[in-house]
Amino acid sequence: MALPYHKVNVLTGFKAAAEMKDPKALAKVIKKAQRPLLVVGPKALSIKIGEKLFVEYLVEIAKAGNIPVCATAHTKGKLEELGLVPDSTYDIMEIINHLKDPEWKGVKGEGNHDLVLFGGFRTDLGNQGLSTLKHFAPHLRTMTLCRFYYPNATFSLPNIRKDEDWKALLEGLVEELKTS
Amino acid sequence: MKGTKRLEEIKEIIRAEEDWEPVGPTPMPHVPDLREWDRRLLKTYKPFYAPFCDLCCLCTYGKCDLTGTNRGACGIDIASQQGRMVTIACCMGMAAHAGHAAHIIEYLIEKYGEDYPIDLGNQVNVECPNIRLVLGMKPKTLGDLKKAVEYAATELVHVLSSTHTGQEGDPVDYESKALHISMLDHVCMEAADVAQIVGFKFPTSKADTPIVDMGWGSVDKSKPVILVVGHNPACSTEIIDYLREQGLEDKVEVCGICCTALETTRYSDKAKIIGPLSRQLFFVRAGIADVIVADEQCIRTDLTVEASKVGSVVIASSDKACRGLEEASERPADEVVKEMVEQRKHFLILDHRKAAEVAVKAAMELAPRRKEEKPLMTKEQAQEAAKACKACRNCEQVCPNLLPLSEAIQKAAEGRFEELRACFERCIGCGKCEEVCPQDVPIQKMFQSVASWETWKCRAGRGPVMDTEIRKVGAPIVLGTIPGVVAFVGCSNFPEEIDEVAEMAEEFARRKYIVVLTGCSAMVAGMRKDKDGLTIYEKFPPDFDAGGVVNIGSCVANAHISGAVMKIANIFANLPLRANYEVIADYVLNRVGACGVAWGAMSQKAASIGTGFNRLGVPVVLGPHSSKYRRQYLSRKEEDDWTVMDGRKKELVDTKEPTPEHLCIVVESKERAMVTIAKLCMRKNDTPQGRQIKLTHYIDLHKRLIGGLPPDLHHFVRTERDIPMFFKREVMEFLKQKGWQRKPVLSLPTLIGTYPSKVSVDAVVGGK
Ligand code: SF4
Ligand code: SF4
Ligand code: SF4
Repeated sequence: MALPYHKVNVLTGFKAAAEMKDPKALAKVIKKAQRPLLVVGPKALSIKIGEKLFVEYLVEIAKAGNIPVCATAHTKGKLEELGLVPDSTYDIMEIINHLKDPEWKGVKGEGNHDLVLFGGFRTDLGNQGLSTLKHFAPHLRTMTLCRFYYPNATFSLPNIRKDEDWKALLEGLVEELKTS
Repeated sequence: MKGTKRLEEIKEIIRAEEDWEPVGPTPMPHVPDLREWDRRLLKTYKPFYAPFCDLCCLCTYGKCDLTGTNRGACGIDIASQQGRMVTIACCMGMAAHAGHAAHIIEYLIEKYGEDYPIDLGNQVNVECPNIRLVLGMKPKTLGDLKKAVEYAATELVHVLSSTHTGQEGDPVDYESKALHISMLDHVCMEAADVAQIVGFKFPTSKADTPIVDMGWGSVDKSKPVILVVGHNPACSTEIIDYLREQGLEDKVEVCGICCTALETTRYSDKAKIIGPLSRQLFFVRAGIADVIVADEQCIRTDLTVEASKVGSVVIASSDKACRGLEEASERPADEVVKEMVEQRKHFLILDHRKAAEVAVKAAMELAPRRKEEKPLMTKEQAQEAAKACKACRNCEQVCPNLLPLSEAIQKAAEGRFEELRACFERCIGCGKCEEVCPQDVPIQKMFQSVASWETWKCRAGRGPVMDTEIRKVGAPIVLGTIPGVVAFVGCSNFPEEIDEVAEMAEEFARRKYIVVLTGCSAMVAGMRKDKDGLTIYEKFPPDFDAGGVVNIGSCVANAHISGAVMKIANIFANLPLRANYEVIADYVLNRVGACGVAWGAMSQKAASIGTGFNRLGVPVVLGPHSSKYRRQYLSRKEEDDWTVMDGRKKELVDTKEPTPEHLCIVVESKERAMVTIAKLCMRKNDTPQGRQIKLTHYIDLHKRLIGGLPPDLHHFVRTERDIPMFFKREVMEFLKQKGWQRKPVLSLPTLIGTYPSKVSVDAVVGGK
């Protein structure tokens, strides 16, 4: 079983995320989803990957995959600055509280989401939110795009040590999502 | 169901025949007595669980995997297990305060007798609102406080027993028990602090308590230094007394960490506050303290080990934390001092008077030696030490605050210290980084080279809010023209810089909210200066009034914050307190715009303090670490039913208005916290003028910190009269887009009458 980067997130149980590092495989999961959602956290505004901010990659992923976005914490302004008007703003626990209800109508009012992507959260908070969904939302799957392994997700990137590797993975994902 | 004998007993304890107020429906309640209130509350604010562990290992059937729909061998499911863990945490928190209260009261009764009177000065006539409300007793003596704690302790047995395998099995019932025990936590905190105020003659009935020095830089290292750590001031006040008697008060430094520091400055304005809990290890390792006197709660468990490393000696003074030490309570002081000084031996001394004498004498002998032995690390030395780093990143993987330590250490090796300083600002002081470093890089010690040695200011805690103040602000708070009471409370497990609490507190004080603080949050609020070098305590008045910044006191002083909101219902609205919990909590929930903020909550005590506020109808905003408490109380504004009773017409009304929106919510950033605080201060009872003011702050903060109008604004505008003039045009435009429709405005919104209760709707109609 993979270990999380931050030890505080160590899994004390059995149901752990599948590690995914192939952009093709990640894109396949996303494309298969009927109603995906991307939830953006505030760390994405400060984490740099080479010259770019993590949030810029998240915007590219949302655009390439035509994925609706939920802005949490104070990310809304920056997303708008980057030319993406989020479909909703909630804080992380509020959106998770909605997501765990199978009857919820989703950020577009078209029904609850079946795949939720997360990027840019404190890993401890993120892993806690994912725990809620793991236990109480069997109707959806989750994927994390940060450079750390999140045991409570359904699909997680592995711990990635080098910026270049993470960058290549995210860029690869954007490319894969662009190809229909 | 209470039997007649029990009811007779209760009547006797609370002296039911006294006619200060009629005895309400729930004197000295058991869990079932307020269960329906809890269930009503949790119907709107449903427990939201984020399991921190998928397993249970509490009995020998286990370990059991409770993931998803799995059940344990005993039959419990994951939601109930979370409720169970929350209940256990709240029991631990409440027990810590009950233990503190019991000890202080016993100690003071020993000194002054059971009949020692409770007198909180001429400005506090409604003393002990928590005890009045929950027990139905008006405590007059230390002996009465003891009765309150004894009752709470019996309830603790019931609630804790429900967590045994094969007992409670429903999450909401577990929450009800957690709420019950946390309500009693406030009773115990109140008993503890009121005993302290009367027993130690702490300031009361005044707002302008002294401004005291704060920061490790404020300690005069040329003098013998005694560090007090913990929460219980019995021993630290004895130290001050001893110094005074011996004419040594100016010759020995007494400084404190955590709540004992706050308590000690209530006793002597010469005492210094080092800082919050997060600075404990840092300061101990600095070796500045000659003697460390530990009492109870939040003391590092490895204190003696750490003290030994730097040659400091420890006196454990509480039976709750004996730490394996040899007891010297009965031995002659000079003999103990000799062993301490010569062998650097630590002792358990449960006689506070003796502990004080030993501490002072040992510190005076050790101080001259310390000056030669313990230089602090310089930048040059830190740079040299950092060069051992092999960039393995073990340190940052164990850091509970997820700090980027590895890079910071490597920069330090190059002589660049900005990153290291930033880590120190966020460090919660656990020491785990150093423990795992294969290269033995002394990370904590390196922090000495970047820590600011400047001094800050804190106002000494002032205890209960005065009745006169409540009279003045009651109406504006209930009408909404004072936009809210914001209480920054709890520990220092902060997610980001240590001065975030100061920033948030100042923002709300400038906006003319009433800002109250306790515990570590009260300290760090003073750890930020403006360009003129002034801290928040020097810039804002100390009054419980619009724009005031009030240090209420230590953790146990949180009971004076819950007490203040109770007193608004009692003094301003003329609702009786006596054993009248549902009516008062309902009043607070619907009409008192108060919001708690525990930005760095760490302990089980913080869990019970917050949960106690929740039962009383006060919402709490928590920082990101608090997601590990496993439980929040959240509503869903669009989907939930916001029907309440119109207390005047006695009709059910669907208000469509989600106020307050949540009862307990974790948010990730300070920006989101500030917006959430402003939102959670709205109440159904707000007048249009009050709501305008509250919405002005909500909109303004949202625009500045998040961007644009709040997307849920339409939920909080009831009629056009609620719309702030300044934003009128854009708000109208927004409402049109949202298809907004008018909502009812009630002058007496209440949940009473919407759930099964002994209380009738008439009971909520107070004098105003
Ligand atoms: S208490 Fe229940 S869930 Fe926990 S270990 Fe025992 S059987 Fe398993
Ligand atoms: S001592 Fe500070 S920096 Fe080190 S692991 Fe603990 S919180 Fe992190
Ligand atoms: S654990 Fe030690 S060697 Fe490894 S990165 Fe941290 S300071 Fe460097």
